[in-house]
Amino acid sequence: MDDKAITMSMLVADNLVKTFPNPDGGEKRAVDGLSFTVDRGQIYGLLGPNGAGKTTTLRMLSGLMTPTSGTATLAGFDVGRDPMEVKRVLGFLTANTGLYQRLSPRELLIYFGQLYGMAVQEAGARADHLIEWLRIGEFSHLRCGALSTGQKQRVNIARALVPDPPILIMDEPTLGLDVLSNRVILEFIKRERDGGKTIILSTHYLDEAEDMCDKIGLLHDGQLVAEGDLASLRGLAGEQRLSNIFLKLIHADEMVGAITG
Amino acid sequence: MSARHRIHTIYWKELIDILRDRRTLIAMIVVPIVLYPLLMLGSVQAVTAQGESLSVEQLVLGTVGNQARGRLLRMIESDRVALERRKAEAEAQGEDVSELPEPLQVSKVKLFGSEEALAEAVATRQIYAGVVFSDNRLIGPQHYDAQVTVTVRADFEEIRSSFAAHRLEALIGRVNERMTQTRLAAERLPPQFFEPFVVEEVDLSSPPSILGQILPLILILMTITGAIYPAIDLTAGERERGTLETLMVCPVPVMDLVVGKFLVVTTVAIMGAALNLASVTATVYYGGFDQVIASSEGSLRIGTMLLILLALIPFAVLMYAIMIAVCSYARTFKEAQNYVTPVILAVLIPGGIAAFPATRLEGIMLVMPVGNMVALTKEMLLGGAVGGWDIAMVLFSTSLYAAAAIAIAAGIFGKESVVFSDAGSFGSMFSRRLLKRTNAATASMGLLTLALLFPLWFYVQTALSPREGESAISLLQNSAWLMGLLFVGLPVVLLVYRKVNVASALSLRIPSPRYMLGGVLVGLSAWVVTHELAVFQQMVVATPEAVVNSSVQMAEALKAMNPLVVIFLIALVPAICEETLFRGFLLGALRGSGRRFPAIIASACIFGVFHFFIFKFVLTASLGIVLAYLCWQSRSILPSVIAHFLHNGLQVSTIFAPEWQQWIGIPTAKEGAAEWAHLPFHVLIAGGVVFVIGIGICRTRSLRGLRTPIVASAEGA
Repeated sequence: MDDKAITMSMLVADNLVKTFPNPDGGEKRAVDGLSFTVDRGQIYGLLGPNGAGKTTTLRMLSGLMTPTSGTATLAGFDVGRDPMEVKRVLGFLTANTGLYQRLSPRELLIYFGQLYGMAVQEAGARADHLIEWLRIGEFSHLRCGALSTGQKQRVNIARALVPDPPILIMDEPTLGLDVLSNRVILEFIKRERDGGKTIILSTHYLDEAEDMCDKIGLLHDGQLVAEGDLASLRGLAGEQRLSNIFLKLIHADEMVGAITG
Repeated sequence: MSARHRIHTIYWKELIDILRDRRTLIAMIVVPIVLYPLLMLGSVQAVTAQGESLSVEQLVLGTVGNQARGRLLRMIESDRVALERRKAEAEAQGEDVSELPEPLQVSKVKLFGSEEALAEAVATRQIYAGVVFSDNRLIGPQHYDAQVTVTVRADFEEIRSSFAAHRLEALIGRVNERMTQTRLAAERLPPQFFEPFVVEEVDLSSPPSILGQILPLILILMTITGAIYPAIDLTAGERERGTLETLMVCPVPVMDLVVGKFLVVTTVAIMGAALNLASVTATVYYGGFDQVIASSEGSLRIGTMLLILLALIPFAVLMYAIMIAVCSYARTFKEAQNYVTPVILAVLIPGGIAAFPATRLEGIMLVMPVGNMVALTKEMLLGGAVGGWDIAMVLFSTSLYAAAAIAIAAGIFGKESVVFSDAGSFGSMFSRRLLKRTNAATASMGLLTLALLFPLWFYVQTALSPREGESAISLLQNSAWLMGLLFVGLPVVLLVYRKVNVASALSLRIPSPRYMLGGVLVGLSAWVVTHELAVFQQMVVATPEAVVNSSVQMAEALKAMNPLVVIFLIALVPAICEETLFRGFLLGALRGSGRRFPAIIASACIFGVFHFFIFKFVLTASLGIVLAYLCWQSRSILPSVIAHFLHNGLQVSTIFAPEWQQWIGIPTAKEGAAEWAHLPFHVLIAGGVVFVIGIGICRTRSLRGLRTPIVASAEGA
C-alpha cells in the first residue's frame, strides 16, 4: 500500500498529436490530443477499432515516430529529448514484427542483447534464461524462417524482454494466434505485470482486454472517448459487457457530436 | 556501449545473415567466378579469331577496265612468287619465317564500268575494296620518271574492307620495294643509297592488351553486381520483412546501423571482387590463350593485382554508399531493384569514358566519381607510373562522395515515412483526377523534373557545342529558344498538368520595392564577388587553357554582333529562364520543407551542376546561393531576375565597352593570365559594400502571398 503512495507514473502521455499528410496535400489527424498515465505494475489497455490511432500512439511512445505535438515520458525520460534512454527502458512488441529468417532464435536473442549493450556472455546467459522461461528450447537452434506463427511470437516476446525492461509496449500481441498460443502469451503478460512491469497493451479483442487490463482507454478517431477500470466504464455506459460499453460510448459520442456540431 | 562495439555487433550479425543466404552466394561467387571469365575469354577469343581470319581471308576486289584488272592480278601473282621465293630462302637458312608477310589471296576481281560503280560496290559491300590506276602505262625498272597513282577505295569503318585495304597497300609497298632494289642494282648503287637512315621502332610500352583495356570495366562491373543483392536485402528487404521496426526500437543510432550494414555490403563485395580477380588471373594464365598471356605478361603480376584490389576499396565504398542510400528509400525488394538499375547505368557512363584508350588520369578525370577509379585501375594495369598526388586525389574525392552518400543514406534510412509507409503508391501520383489544386509544387516533383531536365539539357549543350563554320549567333539563338522551351515550358506544362497554380508555384508576383532595389544592388556588385571567387579557385584548380581560349574566341565572335542582340541572348534570356526554373520552380518546390538554407544550397548546387563544367561549379553555385536567397526572402523571382540580368549584362558589357573597367581603375587584361588578378582594393571595398547592402535590404522576409495555414484553427477547436 505504501508502495503505491510513492509510485510515480511510469508512463505519461501528455496531449499527444500526430498528423499525417494526405496525398491530396491536406492532413489527417491520426492521434488527436491524447493524454493518459500508466502506473507501475499496471496493464493499461488501449482499445479501439481499426484506424483509431492505437498503433500510431504506441509508435510515438516507443520513439519510432515523432509526435507532431505533445510529449510522452517513460520512466522519467522524455521521448523527444532522450529517445535513446527511452528505448533502453522499453520492450516493444507488435503482431507483425519480423524476425531475421536466417538466424536461430538463440542467435537472434544474443544479437539483440548485444545491441542493448550486453557483452556476449551476458547476452548468452540472458538468452538461455528466456529460452527456458518461454519454453523455446526445442526450436531455439532452428532458423526463424522455419518456425510457426505461435513459435515466432514467443521468440518475439523473448526478444522484447531481452534487456529486462521495466516497461512493455505490446501492439496486438495475440493477432492471428490460435487459442493455445493466445492463452500462453496472455498468461505470460499477467505474470510479467505481477513481477512489477508496466505494460501497455493494444487490442481490439475486447474479451481479452476485459480479462487482462487494470485500466482501459477507449480510443476513437485519435481521441480518448472514455477511460477507467472496467467497473467505472460499466457505470458510465450502463452496460455489462465491454463490447456493448464500447459501442455505446462511441455511438453516444457521435450523437453528441451531431447535436452540438 | 561505444559506437564501435555496436557497429561491430551489427556487422557480424549482418555478415552471418547475408552469407547464409543462397541468393547472395550465387550472386557473389557463382556469377562472377563462372560468368565473367567465360564472358571475357569468349570475347577475347572471338576478337583474336576474327583478326586472324581477316588477315588471311580471300578477298573480293574490283577494278575499272580489263587492263587494270590484268595489271592487278599480275601484281598479286608476281608478289606471291617473290614472297614464296623469299620464304624458301629463309627456310633454307634456318630463319624464322613466321614474321614474313603472307601473299594476298584473291578469290575474285570484279570488273566495273566506272569509278562511281566501283564506289557503289564498296559501299554496298559487294566487294571489299576497289583498285584504280591513274593511267595504264606500264612501268618497268627503266622508266625512272614515270609514276602511277594507285587509288585504293575502301570503307574504313567496315572491318573487312579496311583489312583488305591495308593488305592492298602492303602489296603495293612490296612491289615498290622490289622495283627500287632492281633499279639500285642496275645502277650499281648500294641499298643505303636510298635509305641513309633506317627507322627501327622499339616498343617500350607494356603491351596494350585487350585485357588491360576491358579489365577495369569488368572489375568495376563485378564489384557492383556482387553487392546489389546484399545492399537491397539489408535495406529494403529488412523493411519488407518487418524487422526494421524491431531494429529501430533498439537503442542504436541510425548512423551505426547504416555504417554497419554498409561495411557488410562492402566486405561481401570486396570478397567477390577478390575471388573474381583471382579467377580471371588464373583463367588467363592457365587457360591456354597464348596471345593473351604473351601480351599481358607485364600487366597481370600478382603485385599489380593486389594494388588494384586495394584501389577498388574506396570505389566499392562509394558505390555501396550510393546503393544503400537508394535502396533505403525503397519499401520493397522489387522497388529497390527498380531504383538500382538506373544507378548502375549512370555509373557506367563515366566508367565507360574512363575506359577509352585515350583517356588519361588527369584534369577532371581525377575527381570524376567512378571515372577516376576506372582510369586509375587502367593506368596501373597498363603499367603507367601513377603519381602519389594523383592517387591521393582519387582516393580523397572518392571518400568524400562516399561520406556524403552515407550521410544521405542515414538520413533516409530512419525516416518514419519510409519505415512505416504501408500505403501510397506511385500509381496514385500520376492520376490527375485525384489531384487537388495546390499553390506549390512538391519537393519530389521539383527534384524529379530537374532530374529529367538534366540529361536533356546536357544533350542540348553537347549538340550545340561550337563547330567549324557555324556562326556564334545561330548557336546562341538555338540555345536561347531551347532554354526557354526546357526551363520554362516544361515546368509550366507539368504544373498545369498537376493542377498547381503556375503563378504561385513559380513565385511570379510583384515584390515590395525594397527587394527590387536589393536585386539591383546585388546584380551590380555580384561580379566583384564572383571574380574574387574565380581568382581563389584559380589558385586551387587552374582552369585549362582550352577553356580560357574558347571563351576568348567566343568573346571575339560576339564582338562582331549587335550588342543589343547579345545582351538579349546572354543576359536577358538566361536571367528569365534560369530564374524561372531554379529559383521559381525548384526553390518553390523545396520551400515546402521550411528549411531555408538547406533549400537554398540544394537549389544552388543543382544550378551549378547544370552548367556542366567543373571549373564553373563553384562560381555558378555561389551565384545560385545569392539569387536563391533573394528569391526566398522576397517570395518573388523578380529581384533575382534583375540581379541575374545585371550580373550577366555587366559581363557582356566588358566585351563591347571594356573602357568602363578602366574608368573604375581595373587594369585591362591583355593576356589570359592577368584575368586571374585580384581587383584593386577600392573596387573590392565598394563592390563589397554595395553587395552587403543589397543583401541586407532583403534581410527581413516578405510575408506577402503566404498561404493561409489550413490547420491553424484545429488546436483551439
